[in-house]
Parts: sequence; structure tokens; C-alpha cells
Amino acid sequence: MPSFSHVVEEFIRTFPLFMKPLLLTFELTFASGVVGTVIGLLFALLKVSRIPLGPMLADLYITLIRGTPLIVQIFVLYFGFYKVVDLGQFWSASLALAVHSGAYIAEIFRGAIQSIDKGQMEAGLSLGMSPAQTMRRIILPQALKRSIPPLGNQFILLLKESSLAAFIAMEELFSMARRLSAETFDEMTFFLIVAVYYLVIVLFFTYLVKRLEQRLAKGDS
Amino acid sequence: MSEKQVMIRVQNLKKRFGNLEVLKDISLEVKKGEVVVLIGASGSGKSTLIRCINFLEMKDGGEIFIEGERIDPKKANLCKVRQKVGMVFQHFNLFPHKTVLENVIEAPVIVRKMSKQEASREALELLRKVGLEEKANVYPSSLSGGQKQRVAIARSLAMKPDIMLFDEPTSALDPELVGEVLETMKQLAREGMTMIIVTHEMGFAREVADWVAFMDQGRILEWGPPQEIFNNPREERTREFLNRVLK
Repeated sequence: MPSFSHVVEEFIRTFPLFMKPLLLTFELTFASGVVGTVIGLLFALLKVSRIPLGPMLADLYITLIRGTPLIVQIFVLYFGFYKVVDLGQFWSASLALAVHSGAYIAEIFRGAIQSIDKGQMEAGLSLGMSPAQTMRRIILPQALKRSIPPLGNQFILLLKESSLAAFIAMEELFSMARRLSAETFDEMTFFLIVAVYYLVIVLFFTYLVKRLEQRLAKGDS
Repeated sequence: MSEKQVMIRVQNLKKRFGNLEVLKDISLEVKKGEVVVLIGASGSGKSTLIRCINFLEMKDGGEIFIEGERIDPKKANLCKVRQKVGMVFQHFNLFPHKTVLENVIEAPVIVRKMSKQEASREALELLRKVGLEEKANVYPSSLSGGQKQRVAIARSLAMKPDIMLFDEPTSALDPELVGEVLETMKQLAREGMTMIIVTHEMGFAREVADWVAFMDQGRILEWGPPQEIFNNPREERTREFLNRVLK
């Protein structure tokens, strides 16, 4: 077990080395979070729609993603996007993560849409609005607002899951920790250090989500 | 029969939820400017009947004619039909993320493609009519139940419907707030609006209705002018029901 002062020393020494990987972790999380949200919204709408086969298609996607390990999905999707479609490393990795989190985000949106009182749809319809107009103008704005806290949590999960991109040659936080530990044979130190990086970012995001939640709650009263 | 236009005709309407037959062979006719009040115990099918008339529930049998036109829900443009038939709900169903004014102008702007300016002008007039002009820019959550329901009425009127359906509009209100909503509805009746109202307010029914229909177990058991239904009911079931609610 490395001593505390040793870990701190190494933390300070390697701090500059971690800056680029840290940025890449943020970029991966942000890109896959945004794309995953779009995918999630589309599949949530498909799931609650009356389009033929729509709900079935959404179920299939969600079942496949929930039923297989993330690391397997990342390898399959990454090599699919990278080798078959040739999207480049960053976007192949981001899209792999996006397709994964999209399934969970779809379930968040679906739950929020279905939590809106049925009377809202009926009121829209009774005014002569179409089901699509009512969904877009009345249901979705309320559902999206309710989705924000669980979306924040999903984003935090995604940030941690992005560490798996280390296994597909992405030079992000965890991959830097692996490299340094291999170079120095001081594995424990660098894995502890990278854990601190993740923890600090996660705590920061948790705080942001909480603040956002409080602000939204205020708007309700 | 007078020559007034028949606004709603329902023929042999049937509706079931699973194994439960909620409406058994309902027929009725409402002419222009008439106010029909549906009374009856809960579960007798009153709400289901008016929800079928604007196709929030789909009938299982029979025919519905709106302004003489037979409506086949599979082919008809239900949005067009519902623009002619306004509906007011027991729980108001205002849009909580929109201000009072935005609630009222939503459908005119989105469906009728009116300009916001024009729609707002008309909306403010409607809000004045229901006595809530000064509440135009607040959110529904800050209104009392009675105010909410009056906004809901204004919102429905903004689409200039020919027919208004009311589904227990005062049942969710505190007793002291019932009067203001009934007053708004009376005003509409005086202006000649064609209305079907589901309510437990018997005094209101007696005063405003042209026809009272007593529903029992999915049928219209008795139909007549209010003085006849209230003073001299033909059916034993009607008498029992009235005895219970008028006590």
C-alpha cells in the first residue's frame, strides 16, 4: 500500500499529464450525452406512439442494450462505427456510449411522458389539437422538465462509464492511469489518483443536479 | 318538432369497458340552443356518454351525428369535429406550464393559425366575460378551483364551438366556489349555447335545463322537461334517485 504522502506527491507530479485526458473524458461524456438524449427522446416517442411496430422496435432496442454488458456493446459498436462506417476514433467511441445510454434515457423520457396526467392529452384533443400537436406543445414540455433530475443522474453514470473507452484506445482519464501504472509499476497509486479525479467530478455534477432540481421545484409552487 | 337544427344525434350508442357494458343502446337528440342535463348515480354512464360524443372514448356500436353529419371515427377528421364540440372537465385540465392567457390562446394559435395578437385580444375578451381578465398573466397553480374552471370554460370557448359538453364541472370544487362556475354556465345558456351537462347540482338543472335525462345502468331511463322529471317522475328509479340526492 503506497503511503498517503506518496500518493499526494504523485498526484501533483502527474497533474499536468492528466489535463488532456480529463478534457477528453469531458468531451466523450458531453458528446455521447447529447447524442444519447436525442436517441432517447426518439425511442421514447416511438415507444408511446401508435406507429405500427414502433413500440416493438423501441422495446427491442432497450432489451438488447439492457441485456448485454456495456463493455461488449462498446467493443461491438466501436468497431462497427470505426471499421465498418469509418467515423473516426472519437465519434465511434462517443456513439457507442450514446447508443448505450440512449436506451436508459429513452426509459427516463417514457416514464416522464406517462407520468403526465391523462387529462392533459384529453384537454388538448378536446380543443381540436391533434395528438402530435398536443404531445409537442403540452405533454413534452412538462415531461422534459420532470426528466431533468434523472437525466442528470444518467449523465453522471455516463461520465463514469466513459472510463471503459480506455479499452478502445481513447486517451481519457482511466487510460492515462493505466499507462502511468504500467510505466512505474506503481499501480495502486495511479488507480487511487484516477478514482479521486472521478469522485471530484461526480460530486461536482451531483451538486449541479441538486441545484437544478431545487430551481425547478421552485417553479412548481 | 320545431324546425331548429339538430346539433347532436345519438342513435343506439353502445360502449363497453372489457366485460362491463357502460352504455346500452343510448339514443338522444339535442337541438340548437338547448341545454340538456344528464343526472343519475355515479357509474350510470353519464360521463362516458359525453366523452363518446367528442370521441375521447370510442363507441362500440351505434351512430353519432354532429350537426347532421354522421361521424365515423376511423375516417373523419376528429380534430375538426372536436373544434365544434368544446369540453369542460371535472378536474379542469388546464396546462400548468402556461399562463392563463397562454392556455386560452393555445388552440386558436396552433389549430386555427390565428396570430398571437388577434388570439390574445379575443382571449382577453373571453376572460373578461368569465370575470378573470386581471388573472391573464398568472399561472393556473395560483388560481382557486372556481377560477380554474372559469379559465377552462374560456379556453374552450376560444375555439368558438357550436356545442359545449360539461363533465361534472363543479364536482371537484369547494362548495363556496360552485356558484361562480354555475353562473358562468347560466350566462352561456342565456346566450343560446347548445350544451350537454353532467352534474349533481339539481337546483341548477331545474333552473337552466330544457331537458333533463335520468340515466340508470347505461340507459336513459327518463327524459323530459325539468318540472316533469323533478316534480312528477314516471319511473320508480328516478323517484328513488331524486329522493336520495334532494334530501
